Amino acid sequence: MSGVTVARSAMSVSLRRYSRSWGLWLLLLVAPIGARFMIARDDGSGMQVAIGGHLPVMTSATLGVCLGIVVSTLLLPVAFLYLRSNVTRRNPWQVDEVSGASRAAIMLGRFAADAVVLLASLTALTAAGWLLGWQIVTGPFQPGWIALPLWLVAAPALIGLAALRQLLDSRPLGRRGFGELIFFILWMTALVVPIVVSERPSSFAVNMIDYTGFVRPLVAGSPGGDTDFSIGGGEIKPGRVPLDAERGISAQGYVGSRLAWVAVAIALSALASLVYAQHSAPRRSRLAGLASRLLANGPPPPLMAAAPAAPASGYPLATLLLAEFRLIGTGKLFLYLAIAAALLALLPDFRHLGSPAGLLLLVFSLTAHAGRSEARGLRHLTATTATPPPVRRAALVFAGTAWAILLSLPAALATWSIDPIVLGAATGGAAALIAGLLAMISGSGFAARMVLLILWYVYLST
Amino acid sequence: MSNLHLDAVGKTYGRKTIFDAVTTHVPIGLTLLTGPSGAGKSTLLRILATAERPSHGKLSWKGAPLPGAQAQLRRALGYAPQAVDLPDDLTAREFAMHMAALKGLDLAAADAQFGAITNAINLHSDINQRISTYSGGMRRRLVFAQALLGEPELIILDEPTAELDSHTASLLETLIVERAAKASVVMTTHASAQLTSHAAANWRVEGGQVVPT
Repeated sequence: MSGVTVARSAMSVSLRRYSRSWGLWLLLLVAPIGARFMIARDDGSGMQVAIGGHLPVMTSATLGVCLGIVVSTLLLPVAFLYLRSNVTRRNPWQVDEVSGASRAAIMLGRFAADAVVLLASLTALTAAGWLLGWQIVTGPFQPGWIALPLWLVAAPALIGLAALRQLLDSRPLGRRGFGELIFFILWMTALVVPIVVSERPSSFAVNMIDYTGFVRPLVAGSPGGDTDFSIGGGEIKPGRVPLDAERGISAQGYVGSRLAWVAVAIALSALASLVYAQHSAPRRSRLAGLASRLLANGPPPPLMAAAPAAPASGYPLATLLLAEFRLIGTGKLFLYLAIAAALLALLPDFRHLGSPAGLLLLVFSLTAHAGRSEARGLRHLTATTATPPPVRRAALVFAGTAWAILLSLPAALATWSIDPIVLGAATGGAAALIAGLLAMISGSGFAARMVLLILWYVYLST
Repeated sequence: MSNLHLDAVGKTYGRKTIFDAVTTHVPIGLTLLTGPSGAGKSTLLRILATAERPSHGKLSWKGAPLPGAQAQLRRALGYAPQAVDLPDDLTAREFAMHMAALKGLDLAAADAQFGAITNAINLHSDINQRISTYSGGMRRRLVFAQALLGEPELIILDEPTAELDSHTASLLETLIVERAAKASVVMTTHASAQLTSHAAANWRVEGGQVVPT
């Protein structure tokens, strides 16, 4: 069996699975509908790409650049979330890991399918950009100058994302919630590092640091090479500034760096096959052995061989709440981290230290529990119990809030104030609500974890 | 005596009729469900367990029609589907306590009962292990054990002894026979002399019909 045949088969199977999921069609629909909101209006509404606090004059090329930047920066987590939570999140590894097929071919095939799907949404966005450009651009309407910058900025970032997905799927830690944390850190790094080097003269090497590709079109295209730019929201000054997006994307080494990022993505997905670890054969290091001893659950409780049938609880709601509370905080690792978070809460500035620490712990534990409770294959069992699903979900929110309050108690005692408890209840309750809702919709904890990590970062940095 | 009645219950998927106009009752005791693969045995069990609604006809529990009486039925139900997406990151005991809480049971008593059930089916020594370490047979026994928590009056078991060796299967069958003395137990299974000799009813699902044999 040739590698090409395997790669083609892996790709076509993945694409077939994508095409049969409603998520793909939703993605293709959302892209053109969302296009209007990716371009800021004069009143500042919509996603802003601003230079020196001013919106740019919206020529065809500027429109393409702005759409591309929004995709490659702000919407990258959405694309990652889509890749990790869609129908192809489960693959028959039990059989394909022991088949004679080349691992590299399988992973390249799946990488290609992911890339095709992401680029299909970019195609839909391009069409929407043309429609939008026809209505709003200043100067001549040039479809090619909308498409070119859009693809130059966004396509390498999306293809790189498809490669990252394969890389994370290749290692045991990356397959779990830790994978979302890695992505989150990489994403933040990819946004911050290019800004640091934005004042350096344009070159291939400098532009390679800018994975999301947003710096050069803005800096090299702005009058006088202004490095004061913002993406997302903020105060907008009246009047628009010209942005020569054509000059921006033609800057020394920019196009080369974007093409190089595509090559890097392909290399990364090939690397993923080299570092691939089988699901069923974890290698235990000495450190891992020590960790597993520390985290072991111990022997079973003493046996009552003739234990009678359990009666109904006199307080079923309280029992449910207690069970959810225990399951959110399951395992010794959670216990150790909760103690650490509680100790941090004793330090000054609870809002920026103890509270985010406790909340980060809860983000992982809440989404883990919400995800496992909402797994479709378990829900058909739990739905037949005496507890209706909405009651179970409400219990998750209350139990999550209770954990947040517990973790903020040391701060309340140290400062003799109720404020930390109120803050803990509000943030923990909101996190539990979002975790429950997104897990219910998606049937897993992936989407909830990703969204909550982004919100957590906003909370930490404000 | 019977608590669960089926009145002209049928199930169709699109144009395909799985079974049609099943009118019967589920007796106290053991009811064995047999039939060829794909005949609709699991579908019928899902309907009895309220995991799926019939396309037509109605079920009633203790004389009250569903879905009005669904909550009462669920309070009395123990259900072990054929395939469950078990949470790998929990221990078996944690999962069982989750199910006990959802069933509205006293957790301390349910914990003790879970220990006793798992001891009877040779699983007790592993209940503090994560489910991710479980074999197919251990998972099957865990799903079975959670179905028996509390004192369910209606127990629905879909192939509980599949993937088990004959000795372990006989341990489960002993528990099933014990429970069938005071509850309605409906299960699909392959031929088992122990179960067949204790069966209060035998149903065969075939050709869109459910017929007593």
